[in-house]
Amino acid sequence: MADGATPRRKSVPDWLNSPIWSAPPSSPRHRSPPRSAPSPPQPPPPPPPPPQSPRDPVPTPPPNAPRDGDGSGSDDEGEGAGAGAAGRSRAHLVAEFRVALDRKVVDLAELRRLACQGVPDAAGLRPVVWKLLLGYLPTDRALWPYELEKKRSQYSAFKDELLVNPSEVTRRMEEMTVSKREKHDAEGTGVLPRAEIVRDEHPLSLGKTSVWNQYFQESEIIEQIDRDVKRTHPEMQFFNGDTSDSLSNQESLKRILTIFAKLNPGIRYVQGMNEVLAPLFYVFKNDSDENHAASAEADAFFCFVELLSGFRDNFCKQLDNSVVGIRSTITRLSQLLKRHDEELWRHLEVVTKVNPQFYSFRWITLLLTQEFKFSDCLHLWDTLLGDPEGPQATLLRICCAMLILVRRRLLAGDFTANLKLLQSYPPTNIDHLLHIANKLRGPLPY
Amino acid sequence: MVLVLALGDLHIPHRAPDLPAKFKSMLVPGKIQHIICTGNLCIKEVHDYLKSLCPDLHITRGEYDEDTRYSETKTLTIGQFKLGLCHGHQVVPWGDLDSLAMLQRQLDVDILVTGHTHQFKAYKHEGGVVINPGSATGAYSSITYDVNPSFVLMDIDGLRVVVYVYELIDGEVKVDKIDFKKTATTIHA
Repeated sequence: MADGATPRRKSVPDWLNSPIWSAPPSSPRHRSPPRSAPSPPQPPPPPPPPPQSPRDPVPTPPPNAPRDGDGSGSDDEGEGAGAGAAGRSRAHLVAEFRVALDRKVVDLAELRRLACQGVPDAAGLRPVVWKLLLGYLPTDRALWPYELEKKRSQYSAFKDELLVNPSEVTRRMEEMTVSKREKHDAEGTGVLPRAEIVRDEHPLSLGKTSVWNQYFQESEIIEQIDRDVKRTHPEMQFFNGDTSDSLSNQESLKRILTIFAKLNPGIRYVQGMNEVLAPLFYVFKNDSDENHAASAEADAFFCFVELLSGFRDNFCKQLDNSVVGIRSTITRLSQLLKRHDEELWRHLEVVTKVNPQFYSFRWITLLLTQEFKFSDCLHLWDTLLGDPEGPQATLLRICCAMLILVRRRLLAGDFTANLKLLQSYPPTNIDHLLHIANKLRGPLPY
Repeated sequence: MVLVLALGDLHIPHRAPDLPAKFKSMLVPGKIQHIICTGNLCIKEVHDYLKSLCPDLHITRGEYDEDTRYSETKTLTIGQFKLGLCHGHQVVPWGDLDSLAMLQRQLDVDILVTGHTHQFKAYKHEGGVVINPGSATGAYSSITYDVNPSFVLMDIDGLRVVVYVYELIDGEVKVDKIDFKKTATTIHA
């Protein structure tokens, strides 16, 4: 078809063009479509129905018998009561969470569904929910104390083994190999006898197996970790204040990252891991339960490992150009955008030549921690961790939604304006964003 | 865990051209926190080389040093230990333990490092240690021609110091160590 007179555009689904997107999204958390649409609260919105229903898409609403009185199955607050509805929905949500968490065996599907609505901040639920979603805590409540104990002592063992300096190591080696060794101390006079060293372990050793040599080689990584930790979230008192608390928080972050780097020689430490770790540690440290808050470091370590296991390939330089590396992930994002909004895709990639790598690299590798306010980021992560499709797929959908949300400005802008916009993404209503991301479900293009 | 390198009596360029290659390959910057040098370097180039290994360098004056600004003795505190430094040609008889002990009492230090004899020695005496790192280049001394290149690396960790002795014997580097623990209640008069 000639590209002449009437360029045929792949039509944008009408729900995308609906006037509701241009109104500043101000409505609080709710599940039905925004109220500015002239529609009765319950049924789907007036524009031609999108492929799936606008409700939360978990296929089967869990057949939960013990639900507190009111809202059966659907929790739409579509009574049009505005703020009151929001307040009620929050209390609703908290209650639902408590019910879900109080079961003997937690139903993960139900928990995921609830998490996608956002974990309420105030109720101290987030640490437990995240630990369950990341698989740190088993679903059977009875096993929790045992599991926690096991994992935490494992972490202490790691610390003991990996964070000790070479002097200590050599001393321990000595104490093991030579049972009786005369300690030379200050008493007496005379020549000090010389002793042989164990296995070529001296500080200037250049041997590969030498503890000292390894220590000096790793000191580079440790310095890098130190620098990055100091730069994490400088605006937050928790990470960067002058108090001893924030210093100890920084030390905890450093220890976690160091142990991770030592246990994973393949990937070591890459800049950016500190950003992925920060929300985890923050949430666990601010647990209302004292015990848990005290072991936040150990919990955060294991959850960090778990979370990163899905995203490791993004950090591995050698895999950059491979099928699983960051480049291919970015391509998938691009394809996703093309599928849902070809006009925008064409404008970005072809007309203004904004290479998706320029903006989406940071979005993807840092799991959007740098794009939004910290508290918004936590909300976002609720969905990221909770969605049954898994964090990788959800992340791409959210990124796509981010692009679509500002499509008007993008379509109107040139290379510089668009890049500027995308690299410092404007503050936006997270619920709105997640709502759109929801609608983009479907098989990922490969 | 502080690493302190103690060496001296290099006599470059008069009696030796350079440090042995095997020593040089081991001495890389970034590992050592302090260097104490007994003296007789003798020229500025050696001073610069040592400075490149570690910025914290302490030297005392040996009788052949060309830079006259070094002091005769020096004391410094590293961790829990007080270290004293002197070239040793001032202490007569050279290398005599009792005379060195006098110097140690005078400087009031736990570890006294001296040189001049070009022979490695480590004594303990009345609550302190006297160390002679020998000559790092193996240069001949006023006393003898038969000198093995040697130097000393101290690992100071709390109240304990591990002294690693590096010697070049028959072309091979031999490393030994000496453990010394300072009793916390030792009081110097």
